[in-house]
Amino acid sequence: MPLVAALAASHAPNILLEPGAEWEDFMRLHYSMAPQGSAAKPTLEQQRKLRQDAETAFAALRADMEQANPDVLIVVANDQFVNFFWNNMPTFFVTVGDEVRGQFTRHKFRYRNHQELGKAIVRAGMAKGVDFSYGEYVELQHTQTVPLYFLLREPKIPILPIYVNTWVDPAPTPRRCYQVGELIRAVADQARERVAILATGGLSHFPGSPRIGEIDESFDHELLEVLRAGKGKSLIDYSVQDLLQAGDTEFLNWMVLLGAIGDAKASYTSYMPDFVATGWGFASWKL
Amino acid sequence: MSCYHLSLLLFDLKMNQSCFQRSLKDFEAVMGEYDLTTEEKIALRSGDPRQLRQLGVHGMLCLYIKRLDPEFRDNIYWKQK
Repeated sequence: MPLVAALAASHAPNILLEPGAEWEDFMRLHYSMAPQGSAAKPTLEQQRKLRQDAETAFAALRADMEQANPDVLIVVANDQFVNFFWNNMPTFFVTVGDEVRGQFTRHKFRYRNHQELGKAIVRAGMAKGVDFSYGEYVELQHTQTVPLYFLLREPKIPILPIYVNTWVDPAPTPRRCYQVGELIRAVADQARERVAILATGGLSHFPGSPRIGEIDESFDHELLEVLRAGKGKSLIDYSVQDLLQAGDTEFLNWMVLLGAIGDAKASYTSYMPDFVATGWGFASWKL
Repeated sequence: MSCYHLSLLLFDLKMNQSCFQRSLKDFEAVMGEYDLTTEEKIALRSGDPRQLRQLGVHGMLCLYIKRLDPEFRDNIYWKQK
């Protein structure tokens, strides 16, 4: 079956934190890296509006995914020092275990992992010159669980977490991420199952940096315009440094998705800067 | 200059509950288990993530020193990864 749906969404932890005390707590810690950033603190009203807008965006993505009726959801995301450290830092990692679990505050997650599809992608990569790292055990973190909470809270179908190194230098180029997406598409086209793909992360943000609180909204809007025009391939010549400067290195996850969908135009996009740290971005493609 | 061992201690504060609990009781002893320079130990004792960043620690790990700060010990941030 061909790829049947493609979705992209931010995974910022505060999307899933409750407006009010949880947001305050989250911001207080983050701003210990850059106290000047606290000047932009959103009001409770603004926090509630952001949550509402994010839920609306996720509802649109979920509706598209459910209409496509996939049998498996590939989740392309990045690790943030949960599964990987400098003793071994994979550029691209495919999960090939039976199941995956994780927890986000009071929310627990447990999914079957689509081992067969994972191994098919690893094998196809070896045949085509992309030597993926792979392993049977990963712990899900906010980079997957935040979008999954809104898109697949009940584990009705298996998922397949694929990791891209987006934050540790050296990171893969946008061009290489796009190629990996093309490879995933070729495998999906040969699969028996209806395959959907979700890329998470971004958009502009500077976690753990003195620039925390800056959001490059114009760069984010340019990216979303490219997606609406179906010109994702035009982004392959960006350098990692270009993305880093805009706080958009997690867009490398989205580049994998863009490689998988080719010239398809995004049928839905939504964007909301959260004042605190991140430009929340959402997109869906009807394939 | 690599700050592998300094980064590893912060990674363990995040991911290793035993390391975190022992650090609450005796951080000096835990620091002694890692191959750290005097400068790195001073930065860790300061509890300031910005000092750790200046020594080359990845920004996403720097914040984990705050887990030992009584003011931030129950922060919601530690309840997610």
